[in-house]
Amino acid sequence: MTITTMKTKAEEQLAEQFARTAPLLPGGAWVPAARRAAFQAFAANGLPHRRIEAWKYTDLRAGLKEAFSPAQCSTRTFDAAALATVLGPDLAQLPCIRVVIVNGRWQAKMIPAGQEPGATYHMGSLAAVLGQPDYDWMELCFGVSTISDADTLGGGAVVDPVMALNSAFASDGVVLSIVEGARLGLPIHIVSIVDADAPMATATRCLIKVGAGAKAEIIESHVRLGESPAQATAVTQISLEAGAEAHHVQHLAANGSSAHLGRWDVELAERAIYRGFQFTAGGGLVRNETHVSFTGPDAKFDFSGAFLGRDRDHIDTTLVVDHSTTGCESRELFKGVLDGHARGIFQGKVIVQPVAQKTDGKQMAQVLMLSEDAEFDSKPELEIYADDVACGHGSTAAEIDGDMMFYLRSRGIPEDQARALLIESFVGEAIDKIQSEAIRTSVMNIALAWLRDLPAQAAPLKAAKAATPNKARE
Amino acid sequence: MLEIKNLHARIADDGTEILKGINLQVPAGEVHAIMGPNGSGKSTLAYVLAGRDDYEVTAGDILWNGESILALGPDDRAAKGVFLAFQYPMEIPGVATMTFLRASVNAVRKKRGVKELTTPEFLKVVRAKAAELGVKDEMLKRPLNVGFSGGEKKRMEILQMSMLEPSLCVLDETDSGLDIDAIQIVAEGANKLRSKDRAMLVITHYQRLLNYIQPDKVHVLAHGRIQKTGGKELALELEKTGYAEFKLKAA
Repeated sequence: MTITTMKTKAEEQLAEQFARTAPLLPGGAWVPAARRAAFQAFAANGLPHRRIEAWKYTDLRAGLKEAFSPAQCSTRTFDAAALATVLGPDLAQLPCIRVVIVNGRWQAKMIPAGQEPGATYHMGSLAAVLGQPDYDWMELCFGVSTISDADTLGGGAVVDPVMALNSAFASDGVVLSIVEGARLGLPIHIVSIVDADAPMATATRCLIKVGAGAKAEIIESHVRLGESPAQATAVTQISLEAGAEAHHVQHLAANGSSAHLGRWDVELAERAIYRGFQFTAGGGLVRNETHVSFTGPDAKFDFSGAFLGRDRDHIDTTLVVDHSTTGCESRELFKGVLDGHARGIFQGKVIVQPVAQKTDGKQMAQVLMLSEDAEFDSKPELEIYADDVACGHGSTAAEIDGDMMFYLRSRGIPEDQARALLIESFVGEAIDKIQSEAIRTSVMNIALAWLRDLPAQAAPLKAAKAATPNKARE
Repeated sequence: MLEIKNLHARIADDGTEILKGINLQVPAGEVHAIMGPNGSGKSTLAYVLAGRDDYEVTAGDILWNGESILALGPDDRAAKGVFLAFQYPMEIPGVATMTFLRASVNAVRKKRGVKELTTPEFLKVVRAKAAELGVKDEMLKRPLNVGFSGGEKKRMEILQMSMLEPSLCVLDETDSGLDIDAIQIVAEGANKLRSKDRAMLVITHYQRLLNYIQPDKVHVLAHGRIQKTGGKELALELEKTGYAEFKLKAA
């Protein structure tokens, strides 16, 4: 028996686009089959909607009215000056190893002298890797020589719609492997830019492995040029081997008519330490979904973020932390500022499997509501099947504190400045979790610019003039 | 000169009248103490002077140097020289003390038409004043008042007071929660600010603070009105007899 469900316009467009563009996407012999499997997995259920618990607050069937066509190549070259306009001067000047992806295609890498790949890391384009018949890169990075099932591409058995769509359409991305025991001197900055005159969709995928005992800092920026709306799926799969340490920051800034469906999968082997941070400023419809699994004992997962929304921004942070081994620690702190009709969502699921004794999990989500029309939905979920654990969660939504306002104003600080100081300090507490000072300052300046409703490039001037929380941290 | 004329104020939320016709004058150069039982309206008077909008002034006026300040917001009053040292200073997580102090000092300077302090100038002043008051460098690095002890918070208030160079200082129960050593330090700080250009209103429940900050006049506030005014010996008298007399009066 065949059950026919009504397809939405967007779903029909996606099917048409897949049929039309899949033959043009990169990939060796096994890849087209994996893409087809992924798309079929997506098509079987279609776009997720509110009756699916994990998508309760982010109904894509209602939210995605249409699916934009896959992005065309951009003719623009992003040199240092062009990067500064999309990233702001702080991040653009960050000393780093940088990869620039434009409209879903690897455009350039910028590697300072002495930081070339080889001894400490390997890095390449996903499109190139998928196009290689002998899988050298995949073997180098992931220790597998055959990738016949779609699982490695992430679609297959997993019916996560974002993962499946991304597997079907992924045009490029970064494949990165940090060599065992290596210490990278500079952070790796993956910049994904949408440069569009017309609405377009991108799908990018990053695969990262941090070898045993290695340490790395990775930043991902998702930014855009131009006012045309864009849709993106962006998946990052990062795995940390025993004793590895990774600091992983996402910087997402877009305009209100776009959609960003992000997914991070984090895998931690024994004693690995992962510190993640997700910064989201605006962006229209944003879903940041992160899945964490522990494959070895005594690993630490510390994840935080700040999200800023106004107008009709919809910013969803969804976390699934699966403790399936002993003695692991997880920490989450998310702070949001919501103005206008913005909506924030925090779903934090922590699963403690029966074997995962001595698990220590804590979660906190706090939102500052600047408008009566803003909405915050918080859904912490603890599923604890072990008996010797310490787990907790909390969530708050509050307006600006009147007592604090009075205190600041009684010291001569004008109302708007006092208000800004309190909002900035609220967000600053989350941003403080970013360990690297250069990255922390850059993100804070982008946040300040957004809060003051200024273009990112105007931020540092303003930030330097006004007394702001990060100034005092100098 | 501070002139409070027939001041009536109520809680904005529920309309409860707290101040029922206060008349008071504090000339520049003088220190006046306001004493009174709990619930007499002492803290309300302090808040109304500073411009807190939880209270509504329903009648009367507050003149500072001949000019009504009722229509001014708290920040504009600060610029005019009004400073309230809080009974319970707010803890403000995420706002570094130095950031706050600098924002405050420069906001007030800007409104007063004085050149704002540069970073080096500011640091120099704040370090010198902090040292005088025994405010450690480490405190200045922390978020404002967060994790400070009662004594540290009050010292921070006095530090702010001396940074902002107010002409009207209102000290609300500055001695509450302090041991004798802390009271001495805080009082010493306040005494340093005594000058012929500055009026001071010291609000306190107990007489002991007045051993360290000697007032020119003492007013007894009860039931929202000044019930009695005298010299500093009135405070000693109250220490012996308590406030029973004023409580009875209302009954």
